[in-house]
Amino acid sequence: MANDTKKRYGFVIDVSRCIDCRACMVACSVENTVPYNHTRIWVHDQGVQGDWPNLKRTFVPYNCMHCDNPPCTEVCVSGATYKNKDNGLVLVDQEACIGCGFCAEACPYDVRYIDEQRGVVDKCNGCFQRVETGMMPACVQTCVGGSRLFGDFNDPESTVSKALSSASSAIRLDAKRQDGNSTGPNIYYIHAPAEMLNLVTTDKFGQMEGKVPEASEYTLSEEVWKKLIIPVIGLATVATFGVQAVFFTKQLVEGEKEFEE
Amino acid sequence: MTKTFTRRDFLKLSGAAAAAYAVGQFIPPLVARAARDNGLIDQNGDGYIPTMCEMCVWRCGVLAKVKDGKVVKLEGNPEHPNSRGKLCARGQSGLMNTYDPDRVLTPLIRVGKRGEGKFRQASWDEALGVVASKMLDIKQKYGPETMLFSSTHNISQPVFENILYGFGSPNYGTQRSLCFNAMIVANLMTYGMEEPGRDYSQIKYLILTGRNLTEAISTSETSALMDIIAQGAKVVTIDPRFTKTASKSTEWLPIKPGTDSAFHLAMINVIITENLYNKNFVDTYTSGFDKLAASINNYTPDWAEKITGIPAATIARIAHEFCAAGPSALAHNGWRTSNFLNSFQTQRAITILNALVGNWGVTLHPAAGEGAGALGSIPQPAYPRVTAPRLDGVPWKYPFVPLKLGIFQEMRDGALKGDPYEAHGWLISRQNPVLDLPDRAKTLELFGKLDFIATIDIIMNDTSWFSDVVLPEASYLERYDPLNLVGDKVFLRQPVIEPQGDAKSALWIFKELGNRLGIGDYFQYADEKDYINQQLKPLGVNVDQIAMHGYAALPAGEAKSELQWSTPSGKIEIFSTTLQKGGFAAVPEWQEPPQPTEDEFYLISGKVGQQTQMGTQNNKLLHKYEDSPRIWMHPDAASKRGIRDWDLVAVTSQAGNITVPVWVTPSIRPDCVYMTPGYGHLSKGLRTGYGVGASDSVLHVTYTDPVSGSQALTQTLVTVKKA
Repeated sequence: MANDTKKRYGFVIDVSRCIDCRACMVACSVENTVPYNHTRIWVHDQGVQGDWPNLKRTFVPYNCMHCDNPPCTEVCVSGATYKNKDNGLVLVDQEACIGCGFCAEACPYDVRYIDEQRGVVDKCNGCFQRVETGMMPACVQTCVGGSRLFGDFNDPESTVSKALSSASSAIRLDAKRQDGNSTGPNIYYIHAPAEMLNLVTTDKFGQMEGKVPEASEYTLSEEVWKKLIIPVIGLATVATFGVQAVFFTKQLVEGEKEFEE
Repeated sequence: MTKTFTRRDFLKLSGAAAAAYAVGQFIPPLVARAARDNGLIDQNGDGYIPTMCEMCVWRCGVLAKVKDGKVVKLEGNPEHPNSRGKLCARGQSGLMNTYDPDRVLTPLIRVGKRGEGKFRQASWDEALGVVASKMLDIKQKYGPETMLFSSTHNISQPVFENILYGFGSPNYGTQRSLCFNAMIVANLMTYGMEEPGRDYSQIKYLILTGRNLTEAISTSETSALMDIIAQGAKVVTIDPRFTKTASKSTEWLPIKPGTDSAFHLAMINVIITENLYNKNFVDTYTSGFDKLAASINNYTPDWAEKITGIPAATIARIAHEFCAAGPSALAHNGWRTSNFLNSFQTQRAITILNALVGNWGVTLHPAAGEGAGALGSIPQPAYPRVTAPRLDGVPWKYPFVPLKLGIFQEMRDGALKGDPYEAHGWLISRQNPVLDLPDRAKTLELFGKLDFIATIDIIMNDTSWFSDVVLPEASYLERYDPLNLVGDKVFLRQPVIEPQGDAKSALWIFKELGNRLGIGDYFQYADEKDYINQQLKPLGVNVDQIAMHGYAALPAGEAKSELQWSTPSGKIEIFSTTLQKGGFAAVPEWQEPPQPTEDEFYLISGKVGQQTQMGTQNNKLLHKYEDSPRIWMHPDAASKRGIRDWDLVAVTSQAGNITVPVWVTPSIRPDCVYMTPGYGHLSKGLRTGYGVGASDSVLHVTYTDPVSGSQALTQTLVTVKKA
């Protein structure tokens, strides 16, 4: 796994704690003046599952995964999209971006949008402007359920490293690149119920087809989630994607930590 | 010349406000100057100003980020116990409430027909003059009691109340009977206090009877719930809906609506017959246990299974688990308890369940708020004596309803029927009775009969739309309000930007109106800061000195014993002699709710985490992230009627009918449908909220609980068919 940045900022999301209140989404929209018809952050609602009255419903927050091996940076023709060497965040240099949208197409998570008014691509920047002054990203700071955590995976003392090592397992939503390597997403899901794992490991997920929703249909999160796999169908030439879960047992996480040290 | 005020003019108005703002750049505005003097913002006008949220009634502490004289971001204040550094979606969206393009930024006087939405702009002097002269006219011709007054929970409310009580009217409609009368009256009867506090950190076993904490969000309380769940506390949610809270709970019991008290009574039956209660606590601190024990023989789990639809074995198991957790258990009494005529019995049963495990001093505590005595009060004369009976029938028809709670829906009906007299005017501050009250047609009918309606609000809400005069209030980020007490501190709401346009604070509006009504003695403060300074005087600080942190600490009070109750017996009254004297059930009893026929459903109402009541639906940021409002229906009920997801359905009750899209979901019992209130706005002055969803207030039939005065919202039965 490519991991050559000084810091490796990323998120740990405690799925059991997300209540789908969407404070994170509103906070992000305000902090980053996200255009009304776009969002940088989602809460995927897996829908009500199970047989009545034994029902389950799981909410899975997501945004840019700030991948270790991001496909978006490789297709950028202007060099605007890059992985920051200091902190590992995948960022878009707004001055350099020409708004061609290749990166948005290449992203298997579909977390990028074209800001039509400014003619540039934008996305979650890990609230870099806040983080560099010692604050948490807006979504993490305000998370009412305490689901979202942010920090440096290279620092074993960080909140995210500690949360990861204390969890019995973690899931990443991995998308295999054309070269067969992992994208190395830097969102780790902990305390994820079995239903979430089922969704991402069964064929059902890979075969789901859905219409691309209207930009303003954030709340139809089932549709939005389906968007995630749209590139699987549309961009077979860019990479062979198989969205799969990388399931870390506690042992594996500890193994990885040893590697880092 | 009369200028017609149209929807398009709202746009121009906000343009005018922007121009005013640009001019203001050259002269340091008062807010910016004060904030700079207090070290909150730098020379460029950038910084954080502490204040208090008003997107719901929880009042989180806010740190407002200001840049170039505009508020650009709101953060939860880590020093405030209600926010602890977090804000919910509504709190985060608060700046769109201030920068709503549909803000009313100048006083308006109606020129078209009522409800047509045609207004002209007016000066404050003219508008206040019209309001005062109409009110005095009504007072002279018909008596002061024929003026109705309304306001919903807010920190300026006591000052608004000076207008009505100073004016001499006893007719005051608040949200209380539409929300929590059943809970408050039950707590008063049992504990002698309105609402005890809860210590989540101590909870290991929690029963939530309809308390949907992850959607009806109180930031710190919701966070605390998620913390205890993560720590392994067991949470049982009793609700006809599979709410988001149910999805986070250990166990969901889809109870039949209106039968909560049967569930609780059966728990009490198990606890007493199996001797599981905390005998020491019950003997020492409660009264009337024997009478309860003698009354519950028939309330067996088998009996309750037939009524509630929850297996007898489950009820018995929950009773066992609840008692095994002992004082670490809590049966949460909920907040909005206006569900059925028997909700008061539910509330009484819950207070008694808590007494039986003796959780007082562990998970339940006396309410905070005793520290209020440490603040200075603003001098005022005694109110004039009112001889007219209240239109809401309190206390002459409803002796147990506290005067200050009142019964809003009965006030409306009394005024409409002229029983015991007709009303002629209505002054409404920060409330939207058009959507608040059940049976919207009746509210609109009353509007049609009144000689005069005036509204104080920040936007053109539905009630403003039907008003003769609209007085524009400054938003919560633009004004001072009286101090708010939380725990051992008083918190300050202070302006973080200048009021836009001609908007004014409630404290200013009430005082100016009071002066014109000849009751200026009830408003003895020079301005907003003087009001707060008079409150702060005993603490030896002034408003400028507390502006930096946004709060002042109160002197430590005397430690009071936790085990004291202000009831006639001084104990927790399991058997209430007060209720007995009034001819009501002195121990909780089973009262049968109405049964839907094969064709009918219970109409359930509740909350979503992205909107508050009837006032936030025009907020664009919330609209961006809210679910499209639909009526919930179980797949079995839907397929029986040939209804598919997203179909438009016609919903009909005794009170009215609406058309709304449907969400076919197993998240609800087949005998219920659910709607989120606050949609279906009538005001075309709300360009974001207008045309979205439908209002459940059209459907709700007015039913009043004879004990607590609570409106029984779920008592309404509806039929649904494909539109």
